[in-house]
Amino acid sequence: MISREDIKALNTCIQCGTCIGSCYSGRFTALNTRKILMKFIAKGKPIEENDAIWFCTSCYACTERCPRNIPLTDILLKARRQLVKEKGLPGRLDKAFKALLKTGSLVPAKDEHAKLREDLGLTLYTAQFRDDAREEVSKIVEKHIGGLI
Amino acid sequence: MKFFPGCMIHNRYPGIEASLYYVFDKLGIKISPLEGSSCCPAPGVVKSISEELWIELASRNLSLSDEDILTACNGCFTTLLEASSKINGVDVRHVAEFLYREVGIEEIKKRVVKKLPIRVAVHYGCHFFRPSKSKGMDSEKPIMLDELVEAIGAESVSYRHKFVCCGGGGGVRAAATEVANDILNLKMDAISAAEVDAIVVICPLCLHQFDVGQIELREQRGEDYDVPAIHYIQLLAIAMGMDVDKSGLVHHNVVTAELVEKLIQGEIME
Repeated sequence: MISREDIKALNTCIQCGTCIGSCYSGRFTALNTRKILMKFIAKGKPIEENDAIWFCTSCYACTERCPRNIPLTDILLKARRQLVKEKGLPGRLDKAFKALLKTGSLVPAKDEHAKLREDLGLTLYTAQFRDDAREEVSKIVEKHIGGLI
Repeated sequence: MKFFPGCMIHNRYPGIEASLYYVFDKLGIKISPLEGSSCCPAPGVVKSISEELWIELASRNLSLSDEDILTACNGCFTTLLEASSKINGVDVRHVAEFLYREVGIEEIKKRVVKKLPIRVAVHYGCHFFRPSKSKGMDSEKPIMLDELVEAIGAESVSYRHKFVCCGGGGGVRAAATEVANDILNLKMDAISAAEVDAIVVICPLCLHQFDVGQIELREQRGEDYDVPAIHYIQLLAIAMGMDVDKSGLVHHNVVTAELVEKLIQGEIME
């Protein structure tokens, strides 16, 4: 998953620290983008059970500011995918992806939300409310991540 | 154009959608909902699990329309714009940049029937302007939203941490709520110090983070900020004549009587 191009890009890092200086999440957490990317990815060490990797909000500030134009955020998302392959879906995301499978929405509508739409004069028209569309979406979700949920 | 609602607008903040139809009707721009659409899917969180799933669901949504697609959510905007460039699909626009670039500030000023002289803290949301290349935006300090709120008579107040993330994106709100709220806490301290009537956002996920996150900060940390958050399109609809009641604002978790009163009163234009 982490490609040769990614490793090549990471190896152009000059360790300036702009990425971690720009990281909003890193102000409060152990998320150290540079360390995750360099130690675990560029040097090929297994990404250990590292909760901090889930603290990235994918704001892309580090990527935008990197003087070597390393696609840091995208590589970090790839690293998450690798971790999911090894360890499965993080528990706290389980509910959202179950909802996606079942309703076609990560944040499905409940009765109260449907009622609010009605009160505002709006119809219910997403895949969650159309049997054929919902089944189509469910099949796509099942095909790619059915085994993880 | 086709309106793509995404989960958060269709299922949590439908007032954004009602307001958007009101505004586009007044502007004489034809728009109808993209029926049968699913989750966009959310870029950070779904790409964290499966890129193949992300592109296939996004492609399906894009294939439902042969017209340009309009979103009012930064996450949907990011996903559909990026997927569209990969599969050569329809054009994807975000309502804020569409209003700014296609309708224009001068035209918006002409359409205002009630100025809203309130003090606001604008929050762009990271995914409105980053990655900046595909969006043609300033990667550090965009000015579109500041100009848009000033066009309806509001004052965009400068505040510390204006461009800091709301904390909700990338799956952080779902996977690590405490971290999301740590970031929100910092942001809210700064917004509170700026003494504004409201926070103006252009993304329903940011809106949810400010709206529900403030309740959590109060219950879990005793931090009582009580600053309502509202989507720009709701404010614009009110400025163009929509009843405050119909904007959906009163259904948000954090609402102040003071803000509602100011929006009802406004400053009627001659």
